[in-house]
This record gives sequence, structure tokens and C-alpha cells, in this order.
Amino acid sequence: MNDQPPLLEVRGLSVRIRGAARNLVDEVSLELNAGETLCVVGESGCGKSLTALALMGLLSDPPLQLMGGKALFRGQNLLSLKRHNLQQMRGDQVAMIFQEPMTSLNPSLRIGEQIAETVRRHRGVSTADARARALEMLERVRIPAAGARLDAYPHELSGGMRQRAMIAMALANDPAVLIADEPTTALDVTIQAQILELMRGLLAETGAALILITHDLGVVAEMADRVAVMYAGRIVEVGAARAIFEDPQHPYTIGLMSSMPSFGDSGARLVTIPGVVPSATAMPPGCRFAPRCPFVEDACGAQPAAKAVGSDHMVACVRAPLGVAA
Amino acid sequence: MLAFLGRRCLIAIPTIILISIFVFGLQKLLPGDPVLVMAGEERDPELIALLREKYRLNDPIPVQYAAWVGNIVQGDLGISLRTQQPVTALIAEKLPVTVQLAVMALIIALVIGIPAGVLSAYKKGTWIDWVANVVALSGLSVPNFWLGIMMILLVSVQLGWLPASGYVPLSEDPGQSIRTMLMPAFVLGTALAATLMRHTRSAMLGVLQSDYVRTARAKGMGEGTVLVKHALRNALVPIVTVTTLLFGELLAGAVLTEQIFTIPGFGKLVVDAVFNRDYAVVQGVVLCTGVAFIFLNILADATQRVLNPRMRQE
Ligand SMILES: Nc1ncnc2c1ncn2[C@@H]1O[C@H](COP(=O)(O)OP(=O)(O)OP(=O)(O)O)[C@@H](O)[C@H]1O
Ligand SMILES: [Mg+2]
Repeated sequence: MNDQPPLLEVRGLSVRIRGAARNLVDEVSLELNAGETLCVVGESGCGKSLTALALMGLLSDPPLQLMGGKALFRGQNLLSLKRHNLQQMRGDQVAMIFQEPMTSLNPSLRIGEQIAETVRRHRGVSTADARARALEMLERVRIPAAGARLDAYPHELSGGMRQRAMIAMALANDPAVLIADEPTTALDVTIQAQILELMRGLLAETGAALILITHDLGVVAEMADRVAVMYAGRIVEVGAARAIFEDPQHPYTIGLMSSMPSFGDSGARLVTIPGVVPSATAMPPGCRFAPRCPFVEDACGAQPAAKAVGSDHMVACVRAPLGVAA
Repeated sequence: MLAFLGRRCLIAIPTIILISIFVFGLQKLLPGDPVLVMAGEERDPELIALLREKYRLNDPIPVQYAAWVGNIVQGDLGISLRTQQPVTALIAEKLPVTVQLAVMALIIALVIGIPAGVLSAYKKGTWIDWVANVVALSGLSVPNFWLGIMMILLVSVQLGWLPASGYVPLSEDPGQSIRTMLMPAFVLGTALAATLMRHTRSAMLGVLQSDYVRTARAKGMGEGTVLVKHALRNALVPIVTVTTLLFGELLAGAVLTEQIFTIPGFGKLVVDAVFNRDYAVVQGVVLCTGVAFIFLNILADATQRVLNPRMRQE
């Protein structure tokens, strides 16, 4: 899609519980180009959050352990950075927003300070300048009465306002990459739309690339330039949003698409595929979707290699490429 | 905050009245007649009658209570039956000694217990955590009197570093005063440090799992900032509660520690008074401790409000 090297290139990222036999995130490879929005979709528990946390160096260790892989960002491997360099990167060039606005802000620190401290940390500016930047950010995320909110505590804000504050915090140092892990799942539908709209606007202004984790296909349809579909810890299909929506190749993706009432209809959840995700201990050796797959064949007993089926479209399925769009 | 303090003090008044009724009633219910003790061996009926009159023991009980409260309000807690000194003066003399011991012990407990708890939570499952827990467990299971005697033997007798007993008022010679009090405060403080360490550890373990600590790391904050500014600050709320509860333990421990190190404090006053049925002193001491507890609780609640913004809004 793009001749330039990707901004962030993830190769073979694997995570497992220390001592477990199989990976919870298995050989995940992704590319994120500058300024684009990549949506990562998949059922609950498929490893989306773990992938994001691993990229940020935030896996709780123990029990979670990085088993290998690289994440190249501006010539550096995020996964092998020394702690000090990782801390310099986090919140500055790569930032993250979490799912739970209610618990992700520190309850005993004022909103302004929570934004200002990351500005001071990464820009080495004075307390007053950092506070001014915090105010500017609160205004940019359109929090009403931003000046008064600087000195508010998180409990004094509604969920939507807190998520705006989280966004302000994450974007305070103009990161090149923003990772948002289900930023709207905990919010009301109307607020969800507002937050997504806000994020889209801010990304357009700052040119930051976004990895948006969601299991809401409506959100994907609205936001994504590219889509990665995850199943049981693996990327089963990845590519341009258009290709994924119009020509899904993996049976799991096809199932997802047919579970969606109509494109752009927010709130569709991925629940209609029969069967359940195999547990980490009962993971089949080959294709992990095989036990639920209506098209399963003998070849599925071995791990299928990712195949390119279009200019920006990769599928890990023995049946791909399909002759006609399903 | 002032309104809060005012309200809490108002609410404290009925509690104080209850304590006073209890303290007063206790004297009436306890076996043993103080007048008989005072009258001596002969038990001269005339002297007994005179004493009963003097201490107004013939009045109806509510009248006695009212008179007693009236005196207390004026700062008169009665006269020690044994030493004939005013109880207020006795308490005023002994209280600073015990307060100094308690405060020094508390400082030692906080300085050891909180960092140890933070560290062992942060290094959970490593040898540091293990060592901290073993030391804390030993600290809890070693009795104060044993530790006290061992320390006297080692630090005073063998090494001659610190005096084994005695007391120098803080106002007289602060340096020497702190030196004499150091060992008893340490003995008293370490037992509390162990409790404090274990509570700090469990509070920190919870907080370190929280989303906002992850957020702080995601912002690139250093581990020191994450631990102290983001984690410990939130863990302090349960820690302050535990510290308040420890105060009872601290006072009980002080009584014992004062005996071991022959410190002329509150503990000695209580023990002597109880053995001599010196009711006025016992009453004064119990009342004083009760009121101190109430105010310490108010202080702890005020601290909680400072620490926890959610409690501040009304
Ligand atoms: N700290 C942990 N310890 C043990 N297992 C974990 C831990 N964190 C996640 N897991 C397991 O790893 C798997 C993937 O979890 P992850 O949170 O990445 O899922 P997810 O795709 O983000 O799901 P959701 O949509 O519910 O957020 C799950 O099966 C989960 O149970
Ligand atoms: Mg998740």
C-alpha cells in the first residue's frame, strides 16, 4: 500500500503465562503506517490487550512473559529497550489509552497534574508550562470549563469526560503512535460516537497513527484504514479495511462479517459464530479456528502460513485464496 | 475541613460522656473500699465516717457523678488516695514521658514498616519479599519483654552504647532524652513495624495491580514516581486506618516496656494505681486515655480526608 517502511513493524510477537505450554499471543506480525488507523478485532480473550500491553512493555511480569518477537519503531526494537529508554519512549512517542476510564486515572491526583506530569517528564518544561499544556490539551479534547477541570479529581468527572482526559493525557506529548484499547467499550453509545469522532479529529490534526482495539465492527467500519483480525492469539487475516470487509478470506472473518447486521451499525458484537474459543490449555496444534470451522479439512492440522491474497491483504488459511468473494 | 473537625468534635461529646459514666460507674462497682484502705489497720469508725464525708461518699450517686464531672471540667481529677497529690498533676507529669515513648516508637515503626512493606510488595515473590516477611513474622512472634531484655544485655551491658534504664525529660537535655528512650522505643516500635509492614504490603499489592498504576507506567513515569506518588499515596488510606488501630497496641505495649526499662511514665502510674486501689488515679488515667483515643481517631479521619479526595466532597 505504501512504499515507505512502516512506522511500526511487529514481527513474531509471542506472549505466554510463565511456564505454560502454549502462547496466549502467538507469532503476531503487524504493520502500522504513519498516520493510519489500524483496527484490531477479535472476540473477547483473543489476546488483543496482551498484544498492546506487550508493545508498551507493560506486561505484568510475572505471570506474563514475552516469548519473542520484535517491534521496530524508528529504528529501535521496542521489545528489547532498556527500562530507561522504554520509559522515555512511553507517553512520549508511543502512548496508550485504556478501556476503563473509571479506574485508569489516579483517584488521588488532580486531572491537571496527571496530564502535566507526563509533559514535565518528557519535555523537561517548567511546572507552569506543563500546566498550560495540560489546559490546552483539556480544551482540545473539548472538556467544558477546562480551566476548572484542571483542579478536579477524576471522581468529579463523568465517564466520557474521564476518557477525554485520558486522551488529553495520551496526546499531550504529540506521540507518533497511539494505542487505544477499547476506549469506548465502557461508555454509553452516544458518548462512544462522540469520543470516536473526537479521536478522529485529533489524529487528523496531529498526524498520529492509531492502533484501535475493539470488538465492535461498527467502530471498525467507521474508523479503520486497515484491519487485523485476531483469533485465539493469532492474526488470521490482515489488510486494507476495504479488502477485509468486501473480500474476507478467512472463515472466521467471514463469520464475523455475516454476524454484523449492516456495515456502520454500531454495537454489533461477535457472538454468532457457534462454539467457543479454545482455552489456552486446550489449544489445537494447527489452525486454532479448526474446531469451530465449517470448512475444516486434514491440512488444518498444521499451522497455516500467512498468504498474500492482495496488495495489502494477508490470510492464514489453507483455503485461501478463495475463488470468489464469500 | 474546619467544619468537619468541628462536627466530629461535637459528635465526640456524647462518647466522652459515656466514657465518663463508665469510668465513674466502674469505681462504684469494683470490690474493695478505698476508705478502708485509707483508714489503715485500726478501722476507726469515726475516721471512716469522716473520710466518707470528706470524699462525699454518702451522697446519692447521681449527685456524686455531677460533682465529679463538675470538678473534671475545672481540671480537677481528684486527689490520689495514696500520694495525696492532685491526679491532674500526676498525669501532667507522667503523660509527656509516655507520649515521647509512643511517638518515638511510632516513628520507628513507620520508618521501618512502610518502606519494608512497599519494597516487599514491589519485589513480590523474590528473596527480598521473603526476607522481609520472615523478619516481620519474627518481629511479631518475639515478645517485647524478651527483646527488651536481650537488647539491654547486648546494647547496654555488652556494648555500653545506650543506657539500660532511666529517663531524662526532653526539656532538660533533648539529646540524652532521646538516647535513653531509643532502646525502649525500638523494642516497642519493631513489633508495630511488623504489623505495619504486612498491612502496607497487602495494600500495595492491591494498588500495584490497579489500572492507574499501569497508566502511570504507560505515561513513562519512573518506577520511583510510580511507587510513591501513584501507588503508595493510594495505599496510605488503609495504612492510616491500621496505624490508628495500632495505637491501642502501642499504649498497652508502652505499659509493659516502661516496666522493663523502668521508665517513670503512664504505664508505671497505672500499674501502681491499680495495685494500690488508687481509684482517683485509675479513673483519671482511663478517662485521659479514652479521650486521647477519640481525638486520635478524629485526627486519623482528618488525615484520611486529606489523602482521599473522594471523602472531601460533600
Ligand atoms: N495477567 C494475566 N494472567 C493470566 N492470564 C491472562 C492475563 N492477562 C490476560 N490473560 C489471558 O490472556 C488471554 C488474552 O487476554 P486479553 O486481555 O489480551 O484479551 P482481549 O482480546 O483483550 O479480550 P477483551 O476483548 O475481553 O479485552 C485471555 O485468555 C486472558 O485470560
Ligand atoms: Mg482487552
